[in-house]
Amino acid sequence: MRGERDDAALVVTGVGTVNALAHSAPAFAAALRTGTCAVAPVTGFDATGYRSRVAAEVKDLAVPDWIPSPLRRRASRSDLFALVATAEALADSGLDVAAAPARVGIVLGATTGGMMAAETCVRDRIDGRIARYAKGPLVATPISTSADVLAAVFGLAGPRLVLSTACSSSANALGIGLDWIRLGRADAVVAGGTESLCRTIFAGFNALKAMSPEPCRPFDRRRAGLNLGEGAAVVVIERAADAAARGAHVHARLLGYGTSADAHHLTAPHPEGTGAALAMQRALARAGVDAAAIDYVNAHGTGTPLNDGIEAAAIHAVFGDHTARVAVSSTKGTVGHTLGAAGALEALATVIALRDGFVPPTVSLEDPDPACDLDLPRASRDAELRYALSNSYGFGGNNTSVVLGRA
Amino acid sequence: MTMDRDALKLKLKELLVSGLRLQDMAPSGIADDQPIFVEGLGLDSIDALELVVLIEEHFGIAIPDEEVGKSAFASINALAEYIRAEQARAG
Repeated sequence: MRGERDDAALVVTGVGTVNALAHSAPAFAAALRTGTCAVAPVTGFDATGYRSRVAAEVKDLAVPDWIPSPLRRRASRSDLFALVATAEALADSGLDVAAAPARVGIVLGATTGGMMAAETCVRDRIDGRIARYAKGPLVATPISTSADVLAAVFGLAGPRLVLSTACSSSANALGIGLDWIRLGRADAVVAGGTESLCRTIFAGFNALKAMSPEPCRPFDRRRAGLNLGEGAAVVVIERAADAAARGAHVHARLLGYGTSADAHHLTAPHPEGTGAALAMQRALARAGVDAAAIDYVNAHGTGTPLNDGIEAAAIHAVFGDHTARVAVSSTKGTVGHTLGAAGALEALATVIALRDGFVPPTVSLEDPDPACDLDLPRASRDAELRYALSNSYGFGGNNTSVVLGRA
Repeated sequence: MTMDRDALKLKLKELLVSGLRLQDMAPSGIADDQPIFVEGLGLDSIDALELVVLIEEHFGIAIPDEEVGKSAFASINALAEYIRAEQARAG
């Protein structure tokens, strides 16, 4: 076996999340173990007439008092989710940002930003409810705003980036954060993703007939599409040595990531899954971890007919005979597909699995598709996991896999 | 024609609350001499831009530059005085 890379072993010292299941990482860990499904009828807007009228929405999230006044009024849902998740992750890490603010970076994946509020503005204007556009919601529309808001509120003065590669966005954010530290551009990075449900994206997935009218069933013979979700997940990563020096708690290790492009189609994955397999292989090579050492794969597992079969084939291609010994699950059946936040949210689920020693289930899976011949736990399973992969595949053939290891 | 001073101040407070969506604030909770920006009502520069447009829409009075804005937006008192002076000037 090749040796795990130790040139700059990175660790996750802080975790935070807001999603349809939970408003904190500990609550998320508990819900993952239980296998709760948060998919329910859409309440954020009128979904009448759509093929699917369900989603995994964040509900009853109080706007915290510590958010400064203009932001409290103006922050988009995406910004709000990111603020709450980042506050949790930073507090959890115990990192003293103020000691060296320019050495703390922030990188987020996102796809919709403040689109929901912008849609409401445009609709109010067209329907004559407002005479002109209010500036607040429009200022909060671009996806770049989320990182600006976090940097200002938490005093993060290091490298800053919001990236968008569709549904692999925040998996790439973790990768970029890892690169920044390994390249010496930052000592710690707040990395994650944030996403809020909006009509435009909902209508788009509806038009593509990609949404299931019922809670999604990844890897099931009767799977009929995905459910959209929303939320944010944020991790604080830093060098293992730095974390040890300040006595920080380590949730898991971030070891490497790999990317590839299908260069094939705007929405469909490559039928051979070669891009998906390549991303996994590159991530393993980068981490210096053998495929045979992987105990768990948190699959992209959207529940669409196309994705799951191709992903299963790619897993077989990468793991060969070892495939039977790799537990695979999709956590999208619990929190929906959170698009720009999905990569980080699922990496967080993987961190929790490694830390707490269990494989989260694929909820709603009843009748596994023979075309997805994998070890697919339907209830949470206790397991001492050493290494795990988290897969994220985005529209346009954006493939990213992240390798994580037990602390 | 100028508005009664107290009626004008009340109207400005209502405009602030509704126009800038200060959901957790009542017009009666704003003091006449309270600073409108930063430490006062906690408004920022984007709110200032919005307020410039609101004043123009409701009173037909322009805030031509940042210098004028700074003094006119110092408080409700200052804003009321500015509007009354501009209205008087316009006859």
